[in-house]
Amino acid sequence: MIDFKKFTLNNGLRILVHQDCSTPLVVMNIIYDVGSRDEDPEMTGMAHLFEHLMFGGSQNIPDFDTPLQMAGADNNAFTNNDITNYYITIPANNLQIGFWLESDRMLGLNFSNEVLDIQKKVVIEEYKQRYLNQPYGDAMLLLRPLAYKIHPYLWSTIGKNMSHIEKVTMADVKDFFFSHYAPNNAILSVAGNIKKHEDIVSLANKWFGPISRREIALRKLAPEPVQNEERMTEIEKDVPSNVLYKAWHICKRAEKDFYTLDLLTDILSGGESGRLYSSLVREKKLFSDINAYLSGELDPGLMIINGKLMDGISFKIADKAVNEIIEDLQKIAVPDPEIEKVKNKFESSMVFSNTSVLNKAMNLCFYELLGDANEVNHEVELYNRVNSEMVREAAEKYLQPANCSSLLYKSKKSGR
Amino acid sequence: MSLKRNRQPAIRPVELKSIPEAERFCLKNGVPLYIIDAGSEELIRADFVFNAGQINEDFPLVASMTNTMLLDGSINYTSNEINNAFDFYGAFINQSAQKDSAGITVFCLNKHLEKILELCCEILFNPIFPDDELNNLQKKRLQSYLINKQKVQNLANDRFFESIFGANHPYGKQVLPTDFENITRDKLVRFHNDYYAHGDLSIIISGHIHNETKEIFEQYFGKHDCKSGLPDLKDIPIVASKKKRELIEKKDALQSAIRIGSETINKRHNDWPGLLIMDTILGGYFGSRLMKNIREEKGYTYGINSSLMPLHQSGYKVIATEVGKKHTKNTINEIYKEIRLLQTFPVDHSELDVVRNFMAGEMVRMFDGPFALAESFRAVWEFGLGNKFYYKLAEKIKTIGPDEIMYLAKTYYVIDDLYEVIVGSE
Repeated sequence: MIDFKKFTLNNGLRILVHQDCSTPLVVMNIIYDVGSRDEDPEMTGMAHLFEHLMFGGSQNIPDFDTPLQMAGADNNAFTNNDITNYYITIPANNLQIGFWLESDRMLGLNFSNEVLDIQKKVVIEEYKQRYLNQPYGDAMLLLRPLAYKIHPYLWSTIGKNMSHIEKVTMADVKDFFFSHYAPNNAILSVAGNIKKHEDIVSLANKWFGPISRREIALRKLAPEPVQNEERMTEIEKDVPSNVLYKAWHICKRAEKDFYTLDLLTDILSGGESGRLYSSLVREKKLFSDINAYLSGELDPGLMIINGKLMDGISFKIADKAVNEIIEDLQKIAVPDPEIEKVKNKFESSMVFSNTSVLNKAMNLCFYELLGDANEVNHEVELYNRVNSEMVREAAEKYLQPANCSSLLYKSKKSGR
Repeated sequence: MSLKRNRQPAIRPVELKSIPEAERFCLKNGVPLYIIDAGSEELIRADFVFNAGQINEDFPLVASMTNTMLLDGSINYTSNEINNAFDFYGAFINQSAQKDSAGITVFCLNKHLEKILELCCEILFNPIFPDDELNNLQKKRLQSYLINKQKVQNLANDRFFESIFGANHPYGKQVLPTDFENITRDKLVRFHNDYYAHGDLSIIISGHIHNETKEIFEQYFGKHDCKSGLPDLKDIPIVASKKKRELIEKKDALQSAIRIGSETINKRHNDWPGLLIMDTILGGYFGSRLMKNIREEKGYTYGINSSLMPLHQSGYKVIATEVGKKHTKNTINEIYKEIRLLQTFPVDHSELDVVRNFMAGEMVRMFDGPFALAESFRAVWEFGLGNKFYYKLAEKIKTIGPDEIMYLAKTYYVIDDLYEVIVGSE
C-alpha cells in the first residue's frame, strides 16, 4: 500500500506526495507525457535525444549535474515509446536543490548549439553500442516495423536510423520543447523522508507555480489496423546461432485484458518453471533460452516471445513447438495451482518493489498518467481476479497466427 | 516577491549517520549467521556464501557450472519440482559464482521462509547433477559463450584479465570452447563435495527479522557437518603478461572496446579509501574528468568509467569504454593525458568538494534499506573488515587534500605499468 496525497497547481502540474521516513533520502520523479510515439516519422529518436539535452543546462542554471553532486544526489532518466521519465534521489535536507533544478529546466533550456552537437554524437555512439555493435542488438529495430504498419510504435525509441538524429536542428529542439515540455503535460511525485506535506506544497508553489501553461501538441495517432494474416521475415547475419522472435498485437495498457495477458506471460516464462522453459529448454532441448513478455506500452502493444535455437534445430520445428504451447493455452484450462503460482509471484514482486522509494515514486507517476495514481494500490486485486478461463479466452483472442509477426534471425555460419 | 532562479539554494552537508551493525551468531555446527534487522516489509533476504569461486577450481567452468546445477535436481526433487516450488512461493533466487566465492541469494516473504529454507538446504547440500541436465547445460553455455565472444566488451575484459593476472592464474585464465565438453559430472560432484557439502558456509540475512527467525535457520542449517577439511588453495602466482599492449582486430566492429589498468591493492590496504576518491575524480561518477572530456566535450562515447575492484588475493583498477572506431587513438591519448594531469597538478578545491559531497551521498545510499545494508556488509566482510572500514572512508572523504590525491595518482597510476587492451581497430 502506497499512501499518498495529490494536489494540482494552477498551471496544471499534478503532484503526488508519499511519506516514508525509513529512508534519509527523497526521490523526485517527473514524467513528461511525451515519448517516441509523438515524433515526426522523419525525425525519429528525437524524444530520446531530447532527454540527453535536458542535462545540458537550463535557462538560469548553466550546469544541471554539478549542483546535484554537490548536494549528494544521484539522478538519471529514461525514454520509451510513451513517456520520458526523470528522477533524482537526494538527501532530504537538500531537497530544495532538486526543486530548483527540475523547475528551471521545465521553464526553459539554454538551447546551446554546442550541447546539441555533442549530444547528437553521444546518442549516435549509444546507438552503435547498444543496437548495432551487439549480436541481435537490432532485432527489435526489425521486429517493430513488421508488426506495425502505421502506428509510431513501428520505430524504436533510439530512432529508425542514425541519420534522423544527425539532422536534428536547434529549431526542431525548441519546437519539441515548447510543444511537449510544460507543467500541464507533466506529473511530479515526491517520495521519501518528508517531514510535512505542506513543505512540499510550498516548495512546489514556489518553484513550479510561476511556470505558465503551454499549448501541447495534439496527439492524433491513427490506430494500427487489425492484422489479418501472419507476417514473417528473415535476416541472416554473422551471429553464432539462430533466434526466433514472435510478436502478437495485444490491448492497451489500461484495459483489463492487460493483466490477464501479463499473468499469461508469467505462465509461459515466469522463472525457470514457466512452460516455455521447462518444456522447450529442459525437456525437448529445442532452445537454449526462451522468454515471453509484454512490451507494456499505453496504446495497444505487443506480446513478444524470443528464443535461441539449439544448434541443429530448424526454425520450422522450433516455431511449431512454440505454437503447440500456445494452442494448449487456448484449449486447456490452466490448472489452478499454476494460476496461484503466478499470482503469488506477482504479489511478492510487488512487496519487493515497494522496498524501494524510487520504485514507489515512479509507480505513482505512471499510474497517474494511466488515469489514477491510486490504481497502484489496486493492482493486486486486478491480478487476483484473473482466472483460468480468462487466461484461455485471452490466449484465444490475441494469440492467433493471423495476429502474429515472426522474425527469423539466422546465423550465417549455421547454414541450416 | 520575484524568484531568483539564478541563485542556488543553500546546500547542507550530507552526513553519514551510524551504520547498523550486523549481529553475529554461530549455529550449533559452527556456521556463522549474520543478522541485519532492517526494513518494515515482511520479507527477508538470505545470502548463502561459500568459498567456492573460480579461485578454488582446478578446471575452467567447474565453479560456475557447479553453482548453476544446484537447481537442476536433488536427491528428493527433480529440477522442475525445485523451480516450481521457488516460483510457487514467490521467491527469487540469484545464483552466482565469482572469482573468489560462490553461492545463492534468496529473497522471500517471511510467511514462506520455512519452505524456502527447506528447499535451499536441499539444493545446496543434496544436488545430484543429472547427466542429462549437464549435457544440456554444456550446449546452452557454449552457445552463450559464442555470443559473448562476438561482443567487443567481453573480448576486451577477458584479454585484460589474462594480461594483468596471467593465463594460468584463475583470475586471468580464459575459457576455451573445448572446456565445455571437458566438464564431467565427476568434476562437479567432487567440487560440490569439497566446497559446498563440506565447505565453508556463511549466512547473511537481512530484512524484517522475527524472534523465531534464528531458530528456523538453526533448524535447517545448524545440523549438517560442515568444514571437514577444505582443500588448501593452490599457490599459483600472479604473473602478469610482459606485453603491455594488446590489439585484437575486429574489422567489422563499429566501436572499439578499450581497457586500461593493472593489478592493484584491495580494501585491506590503508591507501584504499584515498585511492577510491582519486579514482572517482578520474572516472568514477558522471562528473568525472574522463566522462567530461571523452563524452561531454568530445562525444566519442556513450560512457567511460574507471573503477577499482578488490579481490581476495589481489585487486585491479580499470578504465573501460566503447568508442566510435575512428576515435580509438584519440581516446587512449586523452585517457593518459587525464592521468598525467592528476599526477602533475593539484585538484582544485571546488572540484574536490563536488567529489566529497557526491561520495558522501553515495555512502548514504549504500546503507539505505535492508538489501543495500546486506550488500555493503558483504563487501567488507569478505575482506575480514567491518563498519570501521566505512567510517574510515567517510573520514577520508572529508579530509583528503590535493597533495594526497597527487601522491596516489603518482604511486598507483604509473603509466608505464598500465596494461592496454583494444578490441576493434585503431
